[in-house]
Amino acid sequence: MSAAHRPMDPAVVVARKKEDVLVGEEIVRHNLNSRMIHWSVAVTFFVSLFTGMPIWLPLFGWMAAFFGGLSVCRVIHPWAGVAFFIASLFMFFDWVGDMRMTKRERKGWWGPLLFRYLRWEVEDVETGKYNGGQKFFFWTVGLGALGLLLSGLIIWFPRAFPQLLREFSYLIHDIAFILFVAAIVWHIYLGTSAEPGTFRSMTRGTVTPKWARLHHPKWYREVTEKPRHHPHHG
Amino acid sequence: MSQNLEIRRSSAAVWGSLSGIRSIPTVAKYVDTTTCIGCKACEAACIEWNDLRRVGTQQTGTYQTLPTLHAEYWNLIRFNERDFDGGIAWLMRKDQCMHCDEPGCLAACPAPGAIVQYANGIVDVNPDQCIGCGYCETGCPFDVPRFHQTTGKMAKCTLCVDRVSVGLEPACIKACPTGCLQFGTKDDMVAMGLRRVDQLKASGFKEAALYNPQGVNGTSVVTVLAHGDHPEWYALPADPHVPLLVKFWKSVLRPLGVVAVFGAVIGAFGHYMNLGRKGVKGADAHDANLPDEISRKGEHE
Repeated sequence: MSAAHRPMDPAVVVARKKEDVLVGEEIVRHNLNSRMIHWSVAVTFFVSLFTGMPIWLPLFGWMAAFFGGLSVCRVIHPWAGVAFFIASLFMFFDWVGDMRMTKRERKGWWGPLLFRYLRWEVEDVETGKYNGGQKFFFWTVGLGALGLLLSGLIIWFPRAFPQLLREFSYLIHDIAFILFVAAIVWHIYLGTSAEPGTFRSMTRGTVTPKWARLHHPKWYREVTEKPRHHPHHG
Repeated sequence: MSQNLEIRRSSAAVWGSLSGIRSIPTVAKYVDTTTCIGCKACEAACIEWNDLRRVGTQQTGTYQTLPTLHAEYWNLIRFNERDFDGGIAWLMRKDQCMHCDEPGCLAACPAPGAIVQYANGIVDVNPDQCIGCGYCETGCPFDVPRFHQTTGKMAKCTLCVDRVSVGLEPACIKACPTGCLQFGTKDDMVAMGLRRVDQLKASGFKEAALYNPQGVNGTSVVTVLAHGDHPEWYALPADPHVPLLVKFWKSVLRPLGVVAVFGAVIGAFGHYMNLGRKGVKGADAHDANLPDEISRKGEHE
């Protein structure tokens, strides 16, 4: 059989377009579009982060060497920031439909339910495609990206804005950045080593049914109650 | 009086003071607004010596050359007019970098060595290190530093550090025909200023004062004002200081941020060591025959 006739991996084919469907022994969690948006946000975020941190503190000055020095960072950083905001905007509208919080999530996930989750206790049977922590992360990122953009524009063009606004912009930019870094460390930790089987949802696009039942029981029920998806046989 | 260019303070440096081996006197300019005739010889000398020739004048209805300082115009005589009973006063004042003892520009600057304060008190931008971010514009209480579009660096008066370091007086001082500009050690210039203030008081200017604002621990440009109770009449801030929010940002928020950044990393690592992974055994495998129960490290061993 020639390469041209070799059947494509069905899950990969389905995961290009569809989400929340069972294909073979896998569930598609993020279609190709969502994954591309996510990684665009990630790349622009890290370029912004690593060009911004050496400007923030000489302790991180060594990062500037990767871009060709501090003055190169100063040129790249604002544009990378704008790109990050645009990518975040796409991500916001891609996912906002799934991010509406229930009253229980709104009240609990900023504290008690978050700690319950971090103690690895059994997931609430009512947890859908995203848990309350992920939803909080989503809204924090959205608000943070807006805060970074607005304060960043003021820092970028200082003479166009009054003194006090400039001073506050440094504080807002710093606070948002600090929250982002703390959040991103945990985002990466939870999405890779802490919860095996998660990272593939952002590369291949799929998860196993066991993973889905463990982390997102309600989503698992919704997906598995639907008829199994049969990819087009060519 | 030749000057050693030892550095006293540097922007974004870990340690505040980098000098102190030698005792080097602080230098200062003396500006007497009461004997300035507004001839602008100092402006011309400044652009001549520093080779700043790209700015045209701008008519704003007064004799003033430009509305404010410019990246290529570091010394500007401000022609402030004021009505008094029986006449008008021209309160001409030399606007330039004040070379603060506690420079707000240097405090705000994120680039190591881009703004330095020499041991003699001169505050200077080092173009090699400057990244043109403009933070110094926000840090400066006198609105002095300007972004230079062509070089992409910040620019301001250097107090002619290149002349001073070889024992010459700044170009503006050299050009002044009335002697209202003088140059020397800060102690001498302050003493001269206070003598002049006494003279002015004796001749009826009861509120005369020497402008050497203590909010920035004094400046290396000391200015004699006939109306010392109203520095704003001369377009000078009454109580300049390094902006409080800039200080808070640099000295409180940044250290807290460092703790938060490293705390997040250490916290995640500690969490992993304490609780391990969450997951059904083999949840990332394709094999559907693996056991279902939730595993917590330690519970099954």
